[in-house]
Amino acid sequence: MGAIVEPYITECISSNQETFRCWWSQGDFHNLSSPGALKIFYHKKAFGPHWKECPEYIYPNRECFFDRNHTSIWTLYCVQLRSQNNITYFNECFNVENIVRPDPPISLNWTLLNVSPSGLSYDVMVNWESPPSADIKTGWMRIEYEIQYREKNSTEWEALEMQPHTKQTIFGLHIGKEYQVHIRCRMLAFIRFGEFSDSIFIQVTEISTKDSTFPLTLVLVFGVVGVLILIMLIVVSQQHRFMMILLPPVPAPKIKGIDPELLKKGKLDELNFILSLGGMGGLPTYAQDFYQDEPWVEFIEVDAEDADTGEKEENQGSDTQRLLGLCHPASHHMNTGCSNGVSFPDDDSGRASCYDPDLPEQDPLMLMATLLSSQTEDVETSFNVVERAPAPERGERPLVQTQTGGPQTWVNTDFYAQVSNVMPSGGVVLSPGQQLRIQESTLATEEETQKKGKSSEDKRQKELQFQMLMVDPEGSGYTTESIARQISTPPAPPMPGEGYQTIQPQPVETKPAAMAEDNQSPYILPDSSQSQFFAPVADYTVVQEVDSQHSLLLKPPACQSPPPCIPQHPLKALPAMPMGYITPDLLGNLAP
Amino acid sequence: MPGTIRSVSLVWVVLLVCLSSRRTSVGAAPICTNGQVGCHVLSLDNLFDRVIQHSARMHGISSDLHSEFEQYFLPSKNQIGRVGRICHTSTIITPNGKENAQRMAREQLTEVILKLLIAWRDPLWHFHQSMAHHHDFNNFSSNKALEMNDMVHELRQGVEKVAEKMQVLGIISNSVTSLASPEVLLPSDSADWRLMKDYDLLYCFRRDSNKVQNYLKILKCRIVPDHGC
Repeated sequence: MGAIVEPYITECISSNQETFRCWWSQGDFHNLSSPGALKIFYHKKAFGPHWKECPEYIYPNRECFFDRNHTSIWTLYCVQLRSQNNITYFNECFNVENIVRPDPPISLNWTLLNVSPSGLSYDVMVNWESPPSADIKTGWMRIEYEIQYREKNSTEWEALEMQPHTKQTIFGLHIGKEYQVHIRCRMLAFIRFGEFSDSIFIQVTEISTKDSTFPLTLVLVFGVVGVLILIMLIVVSQQHRFMMILLPPVPAPKIKGIDPELLKKGKLDELNFILSLGGMGGLPTYAQDFYQDEPWVEFIEVDAEDADTGEKEENQGSDTQRLLGLCHPASHHMNTGCSNGVSFPDDDSGRASCYDPDLPEQDPLMLMATLLSSQTEDVETSFNVVERAPAPERGERPLVQTQTGGPQTWVNTDFYAQVSNVMPSGGVVLSPGQQLRIQESTLATEEETQKKGKSSEDKRQKELQFQMLMVDPEGSGYTTESIARQISTPPAPPMPGEGYQTIQPQPVETKPAAMAEDNQSPYILPDSSQSQFFAPVADYTVVQEVDSQHSLLLKPPACQSPPPCIPQHPLKALPAMPMGYITPDLLGNLAP
Repeated sequence: MPGTIRSVSLVWVVLLVCLSSRRTSVGAAPICTNGQVGCHVLSLDNLFDRVIQHSARMHGISSDLHSEFEQYFLPSKNQIGRVGRICHTSTIITPNGKENAQRMAREQLTEVILKLLIAWRDPLWHFHQSMAHHHDFNNFSSNKALEMNDMVHELRQGVEKVAEKMQVLGIISNSVTSLASPEVLLPSDSADWRLMKDYDLLYCFRRDSNKVQNYLKILKCRIVPDHGC
């Protein structure tokens, strides 16, 4: 047994917020279905508890209509359903603004906006008009709309976002499908929606004309882009080849001869070794092996001339000697050597022009350049060719050891020498190199054997081996004649202004008197204590101080033999030096 | 020479920028509140729109809160006298229909709006306080009450601005007394609201916020009609 449904008021609705209607139903009480059997009474709270009857009945609809005169907004209404017996079946209270359900919008239509490039979907703009009953113009009602659409055979509606305008775009509809669209609206900030409008149907069939041109242009564009990318890739990958074709590389100069590594700091010994070694395991073989695979390198072969010991007078002690032209008899050979150099087959020697008559003094310089030139032939051969003199020793080491008997007026000076002192006039004092040290030790032994048996001349000549060259940097090069003159002739009074002066370090065993007689050098020589003379002199000397006279006080090397070392204050020895310099070999006397 | 060219071009650029900025009316400049300098003056149309949007939002919040209370307390829909007491703002004479609102003078309508907003300043503040202390309500409701309270305050200031602007433009006369002394507008029996229950308070406020919204819209469409009306 279900419960009996009493008569009730279905709903009270206002569509324009100016009037409202109430509908009722008799429920299961069919005897009350006749008009007038049920009545509606209402009560406005503001006007006291006086109940009034419905101002207008519309019995066919079972509706009670409240017109404008009977409608007050923001007023609490209570509506009752009563029978004729004053039995109240139903009661409802409300404010009119809260029961507003706007009418649906009218005049729906749609327009095609665009079709997607793929031709599969499209966008549609839907237009409509606001419900005529709603007074939007005066601002009495503010309405927002909601569009819903679905495919024709679907059951679910898709709702778009609510908005107060009377048009909206639907995106992403599919070509060929049919869509159903309807709209409803409600008051802004309220919750009750009005009824849905009548549906409209949207369908777009395929458009063939637009699609035909589209793929073609797309293909063209992609093709062009692809080709461009391909070309760029090719250019980038083969960049170096293009560069070779467009900008061929300039062949770099190849300087043969000395490994540039040796020219760096600290490798002087190796360089000296290579340069002065000559053919015996020196540069030539090295060069030979090194440049074996270079086709454009020419090796000039020169007949090895017999070593004529009778011509020792030329003092072919070392190649550097010959190079520097210090050998007196060979000086004139230098000149001829230059002319002989004309027939030098190799042209890219890098030498200075030999034809220049103004540069006779350049001969040694030329020879030096020859040494350093890009020639692969060794130094010995070049020298031999240039001088056209029987080179006594082709592979001879320019050491004293091989020439123990002959007087040697020339000191074996290496091509590279270290600067040990700087003169105030600008001259540079060179210190003997590694070989010189060896020579020192060997010579010391020789000196002892020949100590008494030699004349002073010979002594001097031997001592000349320890001569220290002073090279005038302002000079025009090496003056072979002057040097040779100085050495071979008796020591002339040294002229400080002259280009070259030689210092004659005295061996330890010589008497001070011997030193005094040939003491022409401006340098102060140690007087008595010479024992430590043969102490090895360091190639590099550290400057200890600079005194008031702007002279460098060099740090003497460490004394190897303790007894000879007499530490003296360096300053004590200074006043005696006219030029304020101490030679390194003399430093041993001054301070440890 | 390059230095002078650079400086000249820079001056030109600055001039162009200044001119272009003057043309664009709505910039990032603040709205003038009390005759400030350098602020951007809004048009009446713009002011109305802002105020109407504000009132709509306020009404929305009050509606939500009222629905929550209805859910919470589950009052019977069919109760007669669901609202225990009359709202404390019932003494304020307000047009309760469209014709009445349209027939009312602009100054009167403006004054009614302001009266309503002023009348709700204190009750909403107390309502928020009571909500904060009640542990029955969640933070969401409490935040809404606070927001409501703030919005009434801001809306009142906004409407005052609109009224001032209208007076300046000569649209309404200077007889709006609420701008001079707001305390005059308070209802005589203003203490009644303290006796109202929270639910009734919400009901009344929802109704009054809708009134404000409607009156503002009517006023705007009457004074500055545009496509939105």
